[in-house]
Formats: sequence, C-alpha cells, structure tokens
Amino acid sequence: MNAIPAELLRIIIGLVAIAVSVGLIGLVMVWVERKVAGHIQRRPGPYEVGPNGLIQPLCDALKLVGKQLFMPKGADPILFWLAPVLAFLPVLLLFLPLPVGDGLQTLDVNLGLLLILAFSGLAVLSVLLAGWASNNKYGLLGAARGVAQAVAYEIPLLLSVLAVSFVAGSLDLAHVVKLQGTWPWNWNIMTQPLAFLIYIVSALGETNRAPFDLPEAESELTAGFHTEYSGMGFGLFFLAEYANMVVVCSVATALFLGGWHGPVLPGPVWFVLKVSALMLLMVFVRWTYPRVRFDQLLVINWKWLLPLAVANLLLTAFFVKLAQFA
Amino acid sequence: MVFSWLHLAIILFLIGGLLFAGGPLILSYLVAPRARGGDMGMPYECGMRPYGGSWTRFGINYYVYALLFLAFDVDVLYLFPVATVYRATEGWLPFLEMFIFLFVLALAIIYFWAKGVFTWPRKVS
Repeated sequence: MNAIPAELLRIIIGLVAIAVSVGLIGLVMVWVERKVAGHIQRRPGPYEVGPNGLIQPLCDALKLVGKQLFMPKGADPILFWLAPVLAFLPVLLLFLPLPVGDGLQTLDVNLGLLLILAFSGLAVLSVLLAGWASNNKYGLLGAARGVAQAVAYEIPLLLSVLAVSFVAGSLDLAHVVKLQGTWPWNWNIMTQPLAFLIYIVSALGETNRAPFDLPEAESELTAGFHTEYSGMGFGLFFLAEYANMVVVCSVATALFLGGWHGPVLPGPVWFVLKVSALMLLMVFVRWTYPRVRFDQLLVINWKWLLPLAVANLLLTAFFVKLAQFA
Repeated sequence: MVFSWLHLAIILFLIGGLLFAGGPLILSYLVAPRARGGDMGMPYECGMRPYGGSWTRFGINYYVYALLFLAFDVDVLYLFPVATVYRATEGWLPFLEMFIFLFVLALAIIYFWAKGVFTWPRKVS
C-alpha cells in the first residue's frame, strides 16, 4: 500500500526545504549585509527598489542571470566552469545533518559533525581551481592565499570542535544539543568559552570573511580568485559563501549555544534566532575590523589559536575524567 | 559496506547541489548576450595589457606550513574516534594516552617555533 518508503520521503522533503531556504537565505543576507554596511558607513544602503530596498537582491539576482558569461583568453575552460559548480556542490549536503528542532532534521546522522567538516573542505578546492584556471595574476594570488588560509584555520577549528565532542561523547549534532539545557547557563559555551572563541575566529577564516578575506581582498587583488567571473559564475560563489556562513553559524549554535533549547518560544524559532544573531555578528565584524596581513594570519593561527586549542582539549579531557570520579 | 539511507541522501543532495548550481548557469547561457571581439577576452588587470602569462613559476613561501598542516591534520583525525568512546572508558589510562598524544603534538609546535618557522621573514627555508 505504502509505495514510497518513509525515509525516502523524508530525504526528498528535506532536500526541497533546504534548497528553498538556501535561495531565500542568499537573498535575505545580501540585503542585510548591504543595509548593515550602509548604516555603519552612515548612508542608507539599498533604498529605492521596494520598501527599504527589500526587492533589491531579487533584481540583482535577475540581473546576474542576464549578464554574459565571460571566460578570458587562454583560460582552462573545463576547470574554469567546474570551479563555481564545485563551490556550490557540497553546500546543500552541509545542511543535511543540522538539527533545526527536536527531531526536525533531514536524517539523524551519527557522524554529522564529521560529515560537515569533511565536505566543507571542498570549498578550498573550488577557490584554488577558480584562481588557477582563470589565467589571471590576481586570481592566482588569491588562490595561493586561499590555500594558505585553509592550511592555517582547519586545525584550530577541528580541535575546538573536538573539545565539545569529548564532553558530549558523540559526533552526532542532535545528541550534543540534547545534552544541553534550556537556560543559557546550561549551554556548552559556559563550560567551553575558549573553544567557542577559537571556533568563531577559525570560522571567519574558513568562510573567507573579513578580517580574513585574503583570497578576495577587493582593495588589493580586485576580487582575488573570482576576478574573471561575471554574472552567474560570480553569483554562485557569492551564494555559496552565504550558505557556508549559515552552516558555520548553525554548527556553532548546535555545539555551543544550546541548539533549539530556549525558554517560552518553540525550538526552531530559538535555533533561527541564535543563528541570525551569529550571522549578524559576522557581518558586524566584517564592517568593523580591517583585513589582517598574510603573515599575521599565519602567526595568529600557529602561535595563538593552535597552542590554545591543544591546551583546551587537554584540559577538557582531564575534567571529563575528573567528573567521572567525583 | 551496506548501502544505507545516508548514502542515498548524500548522493541525492550532491545531485541537488549540482542542479541548483547548474540551473542558473544554463539559464544564463540561454538568455545572456554573447558579444565577442576586441579585447573582451583579455584577462582583467585593471585595464593594463597583461605582461606575460599568469601560469608562471610562483614562490609559495608557506609550503612549510602546508607540510605541518598535513601532519597535524592526519593526527587530529585520529582523535575523532577517541572522542566518541572517551567518556565510556574507565580509569586514568585513557587520559594518560591522550596526554602523550597531545604532548607530542605540542612538542612539534614548540620545535618549529624555536626553529624559527613561524617568524617572518623566515630564517629557515
């Protein structure tokens, strides 16, 4: 009687919901970022199209579709067009294990954290391909910096995430959330403040956001690795960046900020609120702090974040054992 | 290995991502103008004619970091299975093993720090 298995239905509904929300997030985030940037610089931001410029991102998206797809002379055509597709390819998959509410996730993946960390590594590959294949010197410099940045920020990120999973004893995001409580003092941020700080700093580097937007660096490298991309090629990189921001903030919410837990309001609302707050924080950071220099970036990571993360993990392991005997 | 729902979900989501990325590109290919000729295909270098190709020999002066990264990344990967079982273990022996593992990692950082790998301009090459 029941021809379609429940799991398959669940996966397809999740896929459609995630695809729709990624599109919406892209549109909303473009508007929010331009509006916040505008007000920080004491100008109104997008204003003319629609009430308070709300329709502006939609017009921008349509405009991007209508623009010619350029490829510079002498570029590698296969790699050049592979790069934007590859940038977006893993994005939907990254949303797969995210628990938005109690039981409200596409699949309960017991290695969800590892899945996200593994597939988010593909983003670097697309930066490298885009910069290399476009036969442009700015692009090449941007790609080289992108790889250096990935080399710098991957390990503190992994170590800070590991500290939480040592406490929870699981790599399942939903399980980590379930162990936390309703009130802010029951969240993991109270026991792991250092890990949270390291995670946020590394996440800024991981998503190529300012002050660590070295691969893009519009004031020195024109647009860095995507200098030669016009129209939709550029649009895909942009959309992938915003989607990656959401994933990073969602993981931070699930691991450190109690996920869907919160008083009075229903769970998914709390989850969205917390993710939005973190996203706003990232936007504020971008428009407040200047870009770090290339060698400063490597020094911040290897001299500060990595030793702190190792010490934090060791202390966590110690206290987990201590709690067992106490 | 058994083919589970997770594998199917991963494949479906990757296909979904491909369609989501490819759709607008194909749409753009169909509706966008196709002007050519002149210097339109010239790599963009702020209006100047590019001097030489960009696929040249290029000093990657962070390759020591890349080597370090490779070693650290593989090491950290070993900690993921440990994280899932650590709470269930008994006694202080697991902590001692963790301590030795992380201590060796920390020693590597101290060694490279002392050797001057992290100072710019670099002393060692």
